[in-house]
Amino acid sequence: MIKRRSALSKIALGVAGMVSMPAWAHSWSPSSLRHFRYLSLEDETLLAAITDTIIPKTDTPGALELGVHHLIQKIIVDCYDVPAQATIRMGLVLTDAVSIGDFGDSFTKLSPDQRLAVLKKMSLSEYPDQKNFIAMIKRLTIDGYMRSEYVMTNITKFEFAPNRYYGCVPVKA
Amino acid sequence: MSNLNIDSIKRVTYDAIVIGSGISGGWSAKELTDRGLKTLMLERGRDVKHIVDYPTAMTQPWEFEHRNQLPLEVRKANPVISKCYAFYEGTTHFFVKDDEHPYIQDKPFDWIRGYQVGGKSLMWARMTQRWSDFDYVGPARDGYAVDWPIRYADIAPWYSHVEKFAGITGNKDGLDTLPDGEFLPAYELSCVEKYFKEQMTKHFPDRYVISGRTAHLSQPQPIHYKQGRGKCVNRTICERGCPYGGYFSSNSSTIPWALKSGKLTLRPDSVVQSIIYDESLGKATGVRVVDANTKEVMEFFAKIIFVNAAALNTNLILLNSTSNRFPTGLGNDSGVLGKYVAFHNYRARINAEYDGHLETTTEGRKPSSGYIPRFRNVHRQETEFLRGYASGFSANRGEIRSNEGLGEELKTNLSKAKLSIWRVGSGIMGETIPKESNYVSLDKDKKDAWGIPQMHVNVGYDDNDEKMIKDFFEQFTEMYTKAGFTNIRTSDSKQAAGLDIHEMGGVRMGHDPKTSMLNKWNQMHACKNVFVTDGACMTSTSTQNPSLTYMAYSARAADYAVRELKKRNI
Repeated sequence: MIKRRSALSKIALGVAGMVSMPAWAHSWSPSSLRHFRYLSLEDETLLAAITDTIIPKTDTPGALELGVHHLIQKIIVDCYDVPAQATIRMGLVLTDAVSIGDFGDSFTKLSPDQRLAVLKKMSLSEYPDQKNFIAMIKRLTIDGYMRSEYVMTNITKFEFAPNRYYGCVPVKA
Repeated sequence: MSNLNIDSIKRVTYDAIVIGSGISGGWSAKELTDRGLKTLMLERGRDVKHIVDYPTAMTQPWEFEHRNQLPLEVRKANPVISKCYAFYEGTTHFFVKDDEHPYIQDKPFDWIRGYQVGGKSLMWARMTQRWSDFDYVGPARDGYAVDWPIRYADIAPWYSHVEKFAGITGNKDGLDTLPDGEFLPAYELSCVEKYFKEQMTKHFPDRYVISGRTAHLSQPQPIHYKQGRGKCVNRTICERGCPYGGYFSSNSSTIPWALKSGKLTLRPDSVVQSIIYDESLGKATGVRVVDANTKEVMEFFAKIIFVNAAALNTNLILLNSTSNRFPTGLGNDSGVLGKYVAFHNYRARINAEYDGHLETTTEGRKPSSGYIPRFRNVHRQETEFLRGYASGFSANRGEIRSNEGLGEELKTNLSKAKLSIWRVGSGIMGETIPKESNYVSLDKDKKDAWGIPQMHVNVGYDDNDEKMIKDFFEQFTEMYTKAGFTNIRTSDSKQAAGLDIHEMGGVRMGHDPKTSMLNKWNQMHACKNVFVTDGACMTSTSTQNPSLTYMAYSARAADYAVRELKKRNI
């Protein structure tokens, strides 16, 4: 943990100017990285916090409560190729780096407003690593949320067996 | 010969053997058993029992581990099958994995296969249009391929026969290009499908938009309840298997029907290696089988043999059935076996939008779409390319949700749905010309895990297909423009032959034994007790979805075979 923290601090120093990276991230290429089979516990916690920020709990459940991060983890581990996985891995590191740079602590320790500020900043970043990561993780979070049982049952009202088709009906007001 | 051997031969002797359990094999078996024949059905894949072997039929969308995305390993190991629109997390168990059943692509060819009881009838797209005489006369008119030995009048009563049993939706549209049949109520066209139909009537009187005829029970009849099937409940996840029997498959219909007769023996896991030909008798006596699991070689005997292994595998079996009499494959006196393979050109799509009729939309889901029968080169040759194309046509409104913002703003946006304007689309289904240079053959050395030679597939597009695509884009751009559609976009998927899953030919029908394999009864010219009634028998492909025609050929040929058997002619 201490080691990780110090590595991230180093990155944080660079956030204002050029972002510096841990060793693996410096020289990664699709051929140098191997396909990963799981996320570390830390990364999983961070991923959960990011999804919770993208779609928070309001009067209805948010992404965290619906377990969207479990699904995302499953998809990036099983379905994504190495370059896409690298975007995720790099993005998780960068999220903490930006958090520490702007608010002095890692993402999971920040307030909801601070977390949102971090993700918004990254989404507008001139660095493709940040921008692409937010685009990817946002798309995954939206997909997971919209395809959750809660949303499909209560919000989008999916019907498994409609037992009808009408070709031409008035649009409901 | 010892008594023991005689006993064992008796045990494995049937009146008829049907090779394959897909859409045509199911019909062959049903019709043969209906006429009292003790029938053995051989299926190379595992058993799939109706309802109990549909593991994902009741799976909710959120229950799929990857929400229906295919894992990377599956895609990497199966580059061919991963291209198939119906292959996803909910259906992988019904498709052949590339590495388990290798074949050799002399030209790019995506061979989509389903090795199990029911074959591809489990996952098919269920469009069922009759052929007309315009389809049958194509080869006679332009000289490509040989003249069909039958016409619409020969097959019409058999279309009626299979339609009533299978359950086909449709309207009596009264078109000479697409004869009417025995229909259950059609699925309604959407408002803009209807609007397009009216626009076509106004601007192009010979171009019709109809509700596609589909093998669904929109209103089951007593014959369907008798099969144990019920009304289609519009789930539109048919390819996972339907526990209601709402669409037609061998598994829900013909196979359980034939089994109920007590006359059918179904033997899954039976890879047919070849058909046994007896020179002294001048006919086929049985089938040599490799057990898929034990690899044990067995022989089964019968008076008549129906080959329904699916188009290319039927070619493979016949090519592999060599003897002194037929050194290049069973019945191949003409030398055309394996040749003149054709398919349907599915490469071209044209999409657009329509911002009229915004006060209306659709409700529920339909397992069908609009259909535009062929309108090119119908009465005479009028274009630079030969033959023609049919097209699907659909018009729907989608749900739009903004994904702007992050946090609560995003969540609020996602909770609000609005309807898109109408989105319309058509895909081509073009006839390809059967040519000698489009062929399949067997490799001399390479074999599969069951010792069966691997097949070379040398089938591809030609210049006629390119011209047809160009014409489709031009015609539909004009049709869409006349209808007031906007944002018209054409796309050519450049997909390989085969992905249409309409491969046909190689064992074609014809008048002349010198230029064809089968006579007008789907009976082999040179080996009278062998019948081929799957896609392999097709002399040309025309522009209708072919499965209904295979069903009708199977029923008609079975009826003929039994009559001939009774007359002791075979």
